[in-house]
Amino acid sequence: MIDQSPYGTWVGREALDMAFSLAAFDQAVSILFTDTGVNWLRAFQQPNDIAQKSVAKNLSAAPIFGVEALYADAAACRRYGLTLDNMIEGVVMCESSSELLHQFAHAAFAG
Amino acid sequence: MAATSLQNYTLVITGAPYSSQAPQTALLFARAAIAAGHTVDRVFLYGDGVHLASALCAPPSDETHWASEWAGFLKNNAIPGVACIASALRRGLVNEAERKRYELPASNLLEPFIIAGLGEWVEATVASSRVLYFHAGD
Repeated sequence: MIDQSPYGTWVGREALDMAFSLAAFDQAVSILFTDTGVNWLRAFQQPNDIAQKSVAKNLSAAPIFGVEALYADAAACRRYGLTLDNMIEGVVMCESSSELLHQFAHAAFAG
Repeated sequence: MAATSLQNYTLVITGAPYSSQAPQTALLFARAAIAAGHTVDRVFLYGDGVHLASALCAPPSDETHWASEWAGFLKNNAIPGVACIASALRRGLVNEAERKRYELPASNLLEPFIIAGLGEWVEATVASSRVLYFHAGD
């Protein structure tokens, strides 16, 4: 789960590493973006001016690693003006994060 | 009171000592768990939590030395303590092998901690009955 906006901390990137590692070791894994974390999914991010790499670009590798789904908390998306039209491709909107979590044996944050 | 089943735990610490309570809370939990007959399979340090494995922490003498406390606990109970290699290298925590590989001026990994990959954590999520996370909480 990623619940912090990109670029301000390293927590989300380290959560992504956890997800990719699970996938690399053949564990079923999906990523849920909640709270300010949904800003990871914004299209056309331009972090060059702060000498960082685009987290959206990192995320585009998720299907290749075998991450099953990228979920976005719908309420958080509404709060930040995010719709499927201005988000990266392949995101699944999730109206109820708590119902979604019932489908998983583990939930983990990186920090 | 219903009989509680015994658990085997993996503890993941992501908060650094002296900037968060996470290492202290985790240690108190680990001591209590073992005292109650549970098992701690391993401790995994991730993110800022890797600072707990530094041999170079030198807090004032009237403060608890959390790295030493943890190292002693791990030795006494033969529990593996693993620092994530990616988190560790980013934050300047290196063992002798990584010092040589990256041609760094020094190594600073405190025994009995070791450095290993996230695969150790993945294995823990499969093998341990409970995985508990101790975050900085900010």
